[in-house]
Amino acid sequence: MDIRLLRPSDIPLIQHANLENLPENYFLKYYLYHALSWPQLSYVAVDVSRPPKTPYDYPKIVGYVLAKMDEEPTDGVQHGHITSLSVMRTHRKLGIAEKLMRQSQLAMVETFGAHYVSLHVRVSNAAAIHLYRDTLKFQTEKTELKYYADGEDAFCMKLDLQPIREQVREAIAAEKAAAGGEASSSDEDASSDEKDKTGGEDVDEGEAVGDVGRDPAAKPKKKKTGKEAEVKVKVGRALGVGELVERVATKQSS
Amino acid sequence: MPQTLSTREANLFRTVIRHYEDKQYKRGLKAAEQILKKNPKHGDTMSMKALIMNAQGKTEEAFALAKDALTIDMKSHICWHVYGILYRTNKNFDEAIKAYKFALKLEPESVQIQRDLAVLQVQMRDYQGYVQSRFAMLKARPQVRQNWTALAIAYHLDGNLSQAENILTTYEKSVTSAPSKTDYENSEAVLYKNSIIAEVGDIERALTHLESDAKNSLDRLAVMELRARYLAELGRKEEAAKAYRALVERNSERPEYYKRLVDVLDIPEGDEAVLKAVYDEYAAKNPRCDAAKRLPLDFLTGDNFRAAAKAYLNLMFDKGVPSTFANLKHLYSDQYKRDIMPILAEEYLEERKSNQVANGDSSKGAGAALYFLAQHYNYHMSRDLAKASSYVDKAVELDPKNTDFHMTRARIYKHQDDTQKASEAMDHARSLDTRDRYINSKAAKYQLRNNENEKALATMGLFTRAETVGGPLADLIDMQCIWFLTEDGEAWQRRGNVGMALKRLHTIFNIFDIWQEDQFDFHSFSLRKGQVRAYIDLIRWEDQLRDHPFYFRAALDAVKLYIEMYDKPQGANGVNGIDGKTTNGEDAAEKKKAAKKAKKEAQKAEREAAEKAAKQDPNKPSAQKTKDVEDTKKKDDDPTGLRLAGTTDPLADAMKFLGHMLQFSPKNIEGQIAGFEVFIRKKKYLQALRCLKAAMTLDKDHPTVQEQITKLQKALDPILDTLPPKVQEVISLEFTPAVAKA
Repeated sequence: MDIRLLRPSDIPLIQHANLENLPENYFLKYYLYHALSWPQLSYVAVDVSRPPKTPYDYPKIVGYVLAKMDEEPTDGVQHGHITSLSVMRTHRKLGIAEKLMRQSQLAMVETFGAHYVSLHVRVSNAAAIHLYRDTLKFQTEKTELKYYADGEDAFCMKLDLQPIREQVREAIAAEKAAAGGEASSSDEDASSDEKDKTGGEDVDEGEAVGDVGRDPAAKPKKKKTGKEAEVKVKVGRALGVGELVERVATKQSS
Repeated sequence: MPQTLSTREANLFRTVIRHYEDKQYKRGLKAAEQILKKNPKHGDTMSMKALIMNAQGKTEEAFALAKDALTIDMKSHICWHVYGILYRTNKNFDEAIKAYKFALKLEPESVQIQRDLAVLQVQMRDYQGYVQSRFAMLKARPQVRQNWTALAIAYHLDGNLSQAENILTTYEKSVTSAPSKTDYENSEAVLYKNSIIAEVGDIERALTHLESDAKNSLDRLAVMELRARYLAELGRKEEAAKAYRALVERNSERPEYYKRLVDVLDIPEGDEAVLKAVYDEYAAKNPRCDAAKRLPLDFLTGDNFRAAAKAYLNLMFDKGVPSTFANLKHLYSDQYKRDIMPILAEEYLEERKSNQVANGDSSKGAGAALYFLAQHYNYHMSRDLAKASSYVDKAVELDPKNTDFHMTRARIYKHQDDTQKASEAMDHARSLDTRDRYINSKAAKYQLRNNENEKALATMGLFTRAETVGGPLADLIDMQCIWFLTEDGEAWQRRGNVGMALKRLHTIFNIFDIWQEDQFDFHSFSLRKGQVRAYIDLIRWEDQLRDHPFYFRAALDAVKLYIEMYDKPQGANGVNGIDGKTTNGEDAAEKKKAAKKAKKEAQKAEREAAEKAAKQDPNKPSAQKTKDVEDTKKKDDDPTGLRLAGTTDPLADAMKFLGHMLQFSPKNIEGQIAGFEVFIRKKKYLQALRCLKAAMTLDKDHPTVQEQITKLQKALDPILDTLPPKVQEVISLEFTPAVAKA
């Protein structure tokens, strides 16, 4: 087993794994869209034990997480979103899904400054709900009625990334300290202060917005997610990246 | 001479353009007609009309009209631009480039023409042209960073690394204020530059640059990985070890990090204890980590291996990890390890005998060990199918409702070549967990292996989107489900239904075309996003797209099928089947039935699609859109592949698949062997010889290769004298000595 960042050349076998495992499928271009917009966020689990059959074998993908940043966050807060996550039946119980998720979450914070990560899960998918809620500590925000094409409801789940944000900030601070250099470190302090401030605000605001703003925020969001469900299909099936961006724009204007 | 328009009509012309851009095609056409009524020879209007007709799907008429427009007004950049767009939308990029170049010559200031041309050039890998275009675009708008990055990319792809770096540096120097820390366009551009420095091979400078310019990079993982690599390559082992330790801490499931760490630790050759200690440290630190526990099994030997493997297996069996066998099978290239694994599993069973009923979960404990043993004896390197069966029987006895156990039972049947029982067993496994698509997919696959195409499609239909027009098959094609199309095609082929088989294989061919075109939008998208390294990866991968085993398998199937069709032309029964190996009446009847049934199904699907389209609420934008798509989507006028099967020149059709195979997978001997068979039938002896020689280099003892040598000799002997002297010369130079060696 090897857990590593997704590469464009992995995509046909990621698509294959998705088609084997899940009813929500996308064409190749939608995977490319993720891989080329947020290349730091998507991870794969590779079966490195198979002996190659030809000189042209590609790494066999047995699990993947396809992740993105929300391009038009309705709440104005930078956050990540899990588009798809699956692990082959033959490779379950090794904690692969959890490990994939943790790598992705770390990168969401480091590269894109995400404050939280959201996802949808079928209300009947006990194993996945267990992973998100019990292992990864996601909170259930609400239930999205008839979110899936077959009419099943989805739980909208959310994970606050504040602990990871602090962890990253500490790691950076430790690095700077190790690198030494008075002048530069004071310079860094100033900027990390700035970061602290925004971070600190979040701690407060995160809760406040969470409670006060939950309902009003949820409503437009509901609409939006409803559309997003459409987008999922459409984007998954629409023709191009161009169209996709246009859609996001129209979504906002509407 | 081009006509000039009155003010009123000039305004009207602008509305034509606007309607086109807003996709108001009918209004656009109406306005265009109005202009043409007074000015029937106005080239620009004719061109715009052509453009709108093209958008409506009337490709041929559009081309004819655009050509007329050009003959009337050769000096109009609009006419050339439209001509270029027509070619571009119809995927003839070479011709599109030519038209765009004319347009640009007439209107050198046009940003849009220049930009479109640039995209076409990089799509077609005309890197020199791309450099020129990007240079012109940079000159026009040097204040935009994208234009600098784009020119650097153009130089990079063209192989001019130093110039690529120069361009990036020139931009950096021109910026006066420091970029913000959250500016990931900048962060990415810096790492891109770093990757170019490393690609030149100047690792020392790459490291210096990384540590100074990229220290605040937003892609922390990339910086950590690059730094560790550079340090290791520069022999700064202590620092490299530290850097790799940091990476292991970050992601303890990446074997490469351990391997590189161990490489720079200078551990004495063969000192297993020291080596294992490196891994043990992380296993202890991180109890949920699998790699640190498993990887030592790769290098440990003898009793050390036995002890570690036992500990690992016990742990996995206790936890009930179903992938245990899959994660260890690479060890089987070592005879000792291969032999000891079942012994350890048996020991486990023996030791746990007393308390095996204790826990209720059959996938844990004894069940896991039995499952492992069944897989062990089912694996080709340690195969004993009778034993495998008996272990899986025991496992099933333990828990008759365990899906995984039944799945393995089906696999054992498959290896016993009993496709019927395998299909039934897998379907039974499926029935035990009907919400899991994985087992559903496997059931469908096994049905296809048993030539049950219709049943398999129904099985797949349990998970495809119900509302897709055209049913499960259309959804699977839309979603580019290669594995199903391949297996389905192969099953039709076995059933003798050449048409359906070819249909599927051509669909796969077309999907690869789509995948190649998919990169088109990213040439500009990636610049906007600023994620340059991922874009370069994409370009490199797309260049090799068709070396994918998905392509090769389908292409080889198709080539073999076409060869068969050439050798045994269609029988008189009229069914799209070959008469070859299956000439008995029963089969012919079945083929006829199958063809009839397939035709009926296709008609039914079409009818349903029409009904569905009619039912859709036209007020709903989504419905409207699907309808539009349906309108523009060309109807499949050969759903059962009758026309494909009716080809008069199967070898020419085979070439379509063969070319890419030989180009992208030359080291696959099956491709060379198939290539030989095509070329010798086409009497292209030199090309046949080339395939044969390539095959001989790969494996000269391959039985088919030996046959082919004789075959070529036999073909050449009687006609050698009649061949052109040059060909004779090559044959005597290349073939005769090769034969002598073989």
